[in-house]
Amino acid sequence: MKLLSDPLMRAWVWLVGLSLGSTVIATSVARIEGVGITLAGATILVLAWAKARVILSRYLGLAQAPFWHRGFSIVLAIYCAGLLGLYLIA
Amino acid sequence: MTDTTPEAHPLEQLPGDLMMWVLIVSELLVFGAGLAAFLSVRITDPAGFASAQDHLHRAAAGINTLVLVTSGFLAALAVRAAEHGRIARTRMWLSAASLLGVVFLVIKTFEFIEKAQQGIGIETSTFFTFYYLMTGFHAAHVVAGIVILGLVGIRCTPRTVEVGAAFWHMVDLVWVLLFPVIYLLR
Repeated sequence: MKLLSDPLMRAWVWLVGLSLGSTVIATSVARIEGVGITLAGATILVLAWAKARVILSRYLGLAQAPFWHRGFSIVLAIYCAGLLGLYLIA
Repeated sequence: MTDTTPEAHPLEQLPGDLMMWVLIVSELLVFGAGLAAFLSVRITDPAGFASAQDHLHRAAAGINTLVLVTSGFLAALAVRAAEHGRIARTRMWLSAASLLGVVFLVIKTFEFIEKAQQGIGIETSTFFTFYYLMTGFHAAHVVAGIVILGLVGIRCTPRTVEVGAAFWHMVDLVWVLLFPVIYLLR
C-alpha cells in the first residue's frame, strides 16, 4: 500500500490496468454483435484518452505545470472526441 | 488577508527543455494526423478494415503496450534518481527502460515477419498501408529513443536525463493512442 502513495507507481498501475481493460474488451468483441461492438469501441477510445492523460500528467510531469496541463488536456480531449466521432460515423 | 501565491510564468512551469516539447508536439501532430486519416478512410470500408484487422496479433500488441508503459515508468524513475544525484541508479533505470524498448522491437519484428509469411505487405490493402506506415514509423522512434536513452546515460545530468526521458514518454504516448485505433477498434 505504501508503494501506491508514490504518484509514479500509481500512474504505472493505472496504465497497466487501463491497457489490460482495453485488450480484454477488444478480445471479447468477437462474442458481441451490433451496438455492443460500437459501445466497446467507444469505451476503448475513452480508455486510450485516460492513458494519454496519465502519461502527460505523471510521466511527462505536466501535473506540476498547471498552464500546460490545462492546455494539453483540452487539446487531447478535443482530439479524442474527434477520433470518437470518426469511429462512430463508420 | 488571503495568501495569493503568484503562478509561475508558463515557460518557467514547463518541465524539461522547450525544444524537446516543440519536438514532442510536432511528432504528436504527425501521428495524430495519421490516426485521424486512418479512421477517415475506414469510413469508406469498415467491413474491409475489420477483416484486415483480424490478421493482426492483438495479444502481442497488448503485451507491447504493457512493455512500453513499464519502460516509461522506469525512465521516469531514472529522472527521479538523476535529480537526487544518483548516477549509478539513473544508469540502471535507463538501461532497464532501453532493454524493454528492445523487447518491444523484438515482438514488433516477429509481428512483421508473421505478416510477411502470410504474404501481407504494405500494398496488400489500404488498411495494411496505414498499418505498416504508422507502426513502422513508431518503431523507428523506439529505435531513436533507445539511442537517446543510451546517450543521456553516458552524459548523465538531471537535465539531459529529463530531456531523453521526455522523448521516450512521447513514444509511449503515441503508442497508447495508436494501439487501440489500429489494433482494437472494430
